[in-house]
Amino acid sequence: MAPEPPLLSMSGITKSFPGVRALDGVDLDVQAGEVHCLLGQNGAGKSTLIKVLAGAHQPDDGVIRWRGEPVTLRSPIAAMRLGIATIYQELDLVEHLSVAENVHLGHEPTTAGFVVRGRAAKEATGRLLRRLGHPEVDPGRLVGELSAAQQQIVSMARALSHDVRLIVMDEPSAALDPDEVDNLFRIVGGLTADGVAVVYISHRLEEIRRIGDRVTVLKDGRAVAGGLPAKSTPTREVVALMTGRTVEYVFPERPAPPPGDGGTPVLQVRGLARDGEFEPLDLEVRAGEIVGLAGLVGSGRSEILETVYGARRPTAGQVLVDGRPLRPGSVRAAVRAGLGLAPEERKAQALLMLESVTRNVSVSSLSRFARAGWIDRGAERAAARAATRELSLRPDNPAVPVRTLSGGNQQKAVLARWLLRGCRVLLLDEPTRGVDVGARAELYAVVRRLADEGLAVLLVSSEVPEVLGLADRVLVLREGRVVHTAPAPALDEHRVLDLVMEGSQAS
Amino acid sequence: MTQHASPPRDSADTVAPAGRTPAWRGLRARADVRTLSLLGVLAALVVIGGVTKPDEFLDTRNLQLVLTQASVIGVVTVGMTFVITSGGIDLSVGAIVALASVWATTVATQEYGFGGILFTAVLVGLGCGLVNGLLVAYGGMVPFIATLAMLASARGLALQITDGRTQIVTVDGVLSLGERDSYLLGIPPLVLVFALVTVLGWLVLNRTTFGRRTVAVGGNAEAARLAGIDVRRQRLYLYLLSGLCCGIAAFLLVVLSGSGQNTNGNLYELDAIAAAIIGGTLLSGGRGTITGSVLGVLIFTTITDIFALNNLQSDVQQIAKGAIIVAAVLVQRRTASTT
Amino acid sequence: MSHRTSRRGLLFGTAAVSAGALLAGCTSNDTKDESSAAGGTRPAADDKPGKHVTIGFAGPQADHGWLNAINDNAEQRAKKYADVSLEITEGSNDTAQQIGQIETLINKKVDVLVVLPADGKALTQVGLKAMRAGIPVVNLDRIFNTPQAYRCWIGGDNYGMGLSAGHYIGEKLKGKSGARVIELAGLDNLELTKQRTQGFDDALKNYPNIRKVARQAAEFTVESGQAKMAQLLQAQPRFDALWNHDDDQGVGALRAIEQAGRDDFLMVGGAGALSAFQAIKQDNGVLKATVLYPPTMAASAIDLARALGQGKGVGGLAEFEIPSSITLYSAVVDKDNVDQYMPTGFR
Repeated sequence: MAPEPPLLSMSGITKSFPGVRALDGVDLDVQAGEVHCLLGQNGAGKSTLIKVLAGAHQPDDGVIRWRGEPVTLRSPIAAMRLGIATIYQELDLVEHLSVAENVHLGHEPTTAGFVVRGRAAKEATGRLLRRLGHPEVDPGRLVGELSAAQQQIVSMARALSHDVRLIVMDEPSAALDPDEVDNLFRIVGGLTADGVAVVYISHRLEEIRRIGDRVTVLKDGRAVAGGLPAKSTPTREVVALMTGRTVEYVFPERPAPPPGDGGTPVLQVRGLARDGEFEPLDLEVRAGEIVGLAGLVGSGRSEILETVYGARRPTAGQVLVDGRPLRPGSVRAAVRAGLGLAPEERKAQALLMLESVTRNVSVSSLSRFARAGWIDRGAERAAARAATRELSLRPDNPAVPVRTLSGGNQQKAVLARWLLRGCRVLLLDEPTRGVDVGARAELYAVVRRLADEGLAVLLVSSEVPEVLGLADRVLVLREGRVVHTAPAPALDEHRVLDLVMEGSQAS
Repeated sequence: MTQHASPPRDSADTVAPAGRTPAWRGLRARADVRTLSLLGVLAALVVIGGVTKPDEFLDTRNLQLVLTQASVIGVVTVGMTFVITSGGIDLSVGAIVALASVWATTVATQEYGFGGILFTAVLVGLGCGLVNGLLVAYGGMVPFIATLAMLASARGLALQITDGRTQIVTVDGVLSLGERDSYLLGIPPLVLVFALVTVLGWLVLNRTTFGRRTVAVGGNAEAARLAGIDVRRQRLYLYLLSGLCCGIAAFLLVVLSGSGQNTNGNLYELDAIAAAIIGGTLLSGGRGTITGSVLGVLIFTTITDIFALNNLQSDVQQIAKGAIIVAAVLVQRRTASTT
Repeated sequence: MSHRTSRRGLLFGTAAVSAGALLAGCTSNDTKDESSAAGGTRPAADDKPGKHVTIGFAGPQADHGWLNAINDNAEQRAKKYADVSLEITEGSNDTAQQIGQIETLINKKVDVLVVLPADGKALTQVGLKAMRAGIPVVNLDRIFNTPQAYRCWIGGDNYGMGLSAGHYIGEKLKGKSGARVIELAGLDNLELTKQRTQGFDDALKNYPNIRKVARQAAEFTVESGQAKMAQLLQAQPRFDALWNHDDDQGVGALRAIEQAGRDDFLMVGGAGALSAFQAIKQDNGVLKATVLYPPTMAASAIDLARALGQGKGVGGLAEFEIPSSITLYSAVVDKDNVDQYMPTGFR
């Protein structure tokens, strides 16, 4: 035990959400004046961890010590009182208020307790902005009129307007130009020189090398390495830590002759593009084939799937099913032609949480059970039951509300919907997000079986091993562009990570 | 490889896995509890009415009276329930009732007799509903604003048509429908219409693709869209349906009051919303119950009846109404939070 | 004497300053004699063109038969005079909007203002403003907060309405022991409803044989009149008389009475709608009388405004100046005098 206890020490932090264990006994030590980097793939638990630290989530188990004293962070205000400030990736600023008002939101300088001293707030804000190297931002301007980078500065000024001892930055460089990133690093350096600790989250290894002191790597809700030296740990080792399996997934075997060789493709995408999201894209998926799209957040993966599905209107190109072009921007046309989407945000985009499994499964095929609009509920139940059994959905009772299901079984309910509809092309967006580790293998088997039965599957995942393990062919995306295409067996995880991170390292 | 290698295909269809108390049982029980508690409130009111005014309250004529007074707002509430279930709101129902009732009772319309009045009321209701629907579904307007605009315009147009005057109905066929001679087996025709609308509404919401899509749109519009439902068309139809109900209600009101007036349907929007919410329809959408809405209407009408029979004044009535709304919503929140 | 002759029989006359001595010698008896001698011509105003007067008229939105009649009365009356032009605003129930409309009229420099405020208290300030700008204000019915805000107030008598109705019913039920009376009031939120009920109750105190057994408030609408009356009829299987505050809601009340098949009581209405007059004349239903809240007050207000604009007084009164306040009598209209009032009935 060091004589001086660390500023922050989290140990054994555990947090579960229905169906997922987001954090599983995570330890994290942060010293005053250091830049401590958190690394991990999507879904590794970084966001949950910083929300616990910000007081937004209450851990199920574990101890948080602040300067050696055990503390409970009951609310964001409690965390702020201790001196913990968080700058989220999605900035939480009020667009219709001025910079100064945003900075002092909730703790406005007042006279007699309630008269807001606007001038004092503006002056204090001006000082903070100069300290952050952005004297050009006018404290009186509306935040909505500022650029993304300037808004981030405002967010940071807000954090610094409190007596802050520890500042958490969630991917602060994601929205910044290179010179703005330099300024950010200068600010971080200034903060640490003042003894403020910074918890820095980024995908970009190169940034971590530049400003980080120590690195903690998260993987599947566990800290697989804590307190590694940021400058000297080899990249290969960091990547291995990020990707190394704590649980070995069992991927189903691929059919002996690679599927889809020859034969006409079911799904053809020709020159499909959306300005600002992804560049013209060509791809084909044949019956029985699983094609994977691998890429980081912001690489345009989900946007591509949703555009193929008609949920977004393309700016160019077309989608063909069985050689016939679909009406662009029409989900109904896509569904009629045999497309089915299992979206990334299952609860927000796919499920009717108040309804039973049966009704969630039948919702896309209602007219099949209806005569003159009248639903034959017996037929509906039987069909939903058959579809859910086909996928071994648990519990084996489609009358239960879908919200009582685990993540994996909710995903199966979505797949059963398209199975019942008799779709030809399945679009899977992050199919195992929020699905616990044990259930993933089963889901993989289901997807492969559906492909074997003749479906064309287009898969998107930020988890590289998933794409490599499940898909037959892989397209690697970076910033809205396909940078590599290869049969899955010809690729490995490091190669793909190199490809997707190349661009960001260059910046 | 898979955890559940062989699903138990032999298990009986309706049997839940043994040894567990599935959560859905609780949910279904709660839904029943909600209806039962509404029936309990109604029963308690009947007891109060029966004790305080046994002769006047426990009387066939009083039953006819309560049901008749519930008919107009009841029909409006059935339409409102659909709209709220879909996650929308229709603030213009009272104004549409007013407009439809005055348009149907102008001198020119009355020349066409019974059919002319009925046809005009329904057509005006549908027309307003169509405008609401187009604004919400295809104009991208928030339902609150679109229907608020309709409220203002329809009331204004109703005033313009009547010039603030009461339009007396002189068509005998319409007038006699509201009188005792036309009761069928003791049931007023207005109540028959209300019952018919209720039954049809229940069937449409619970047994048809239309109802299912309504619930889906209200529960999660994005999910409904991505599931291939034409969310916009559905919304259009829903406001049309609400307008249709307003048109029917306007006709009933013309029959009941023997006149058309631009002040008709005053604050119907609030009464209908309150009845639907008390009945258990979620204001945020995704769950709706016609049974609950109708019980809500009956509870309000019965309270009014008991208060009037006991000669209590309107201030006390309003306070009681407010208290009941708050109590009902609190109970609903409690049941929701135990979910 | 020639001056006096010229004034004879006229509602409004010249109030020449030089005639002061003459008028001072004129007793009230003389005047009464003169006017009664003039007989039926009394309501007619002086049609002789005088100085041109521009009258600004601002009223609330005519969403009720009575308010509509107010506008009609004002317009018709103004048309009668060649020397009057009427600037009438779009009626509004929005206080702010009405203030704006009146300010526009002030800026246009109308000679006299006639204002029926949507809300008397809220419009007091703009009344004061007009008065300060030298524009006399005739305040119609809904009274401003302070007499400084108007030159003359003319309006109905809500308390008097209740009194008249109560007395009429009292006389009709005289000698009937244990008589039961019910009241269908107007919108309870309004002070005028309370005043009407108070007058009614006070009048009934004179008749110890009568007891008011029930009161329900409707909302001045046909719909509410039907609903509340239906309830009252169910609650009171036997009663002898009913006073309904408002003939508009009375349409609904009569409908409810008809639907219940009841005819065992007498009904008195309020306000003076044409449909009520017609029913009284036909005398085949329960409605036997109605107490007036006459919309003709708007016509009188135009007369007053014209007189103010021309610097004249009111005929029939000894004073040079028109009164600062005129409360109208709430007459009872029944079968005997309904023909006389028929033209004033509003639809």
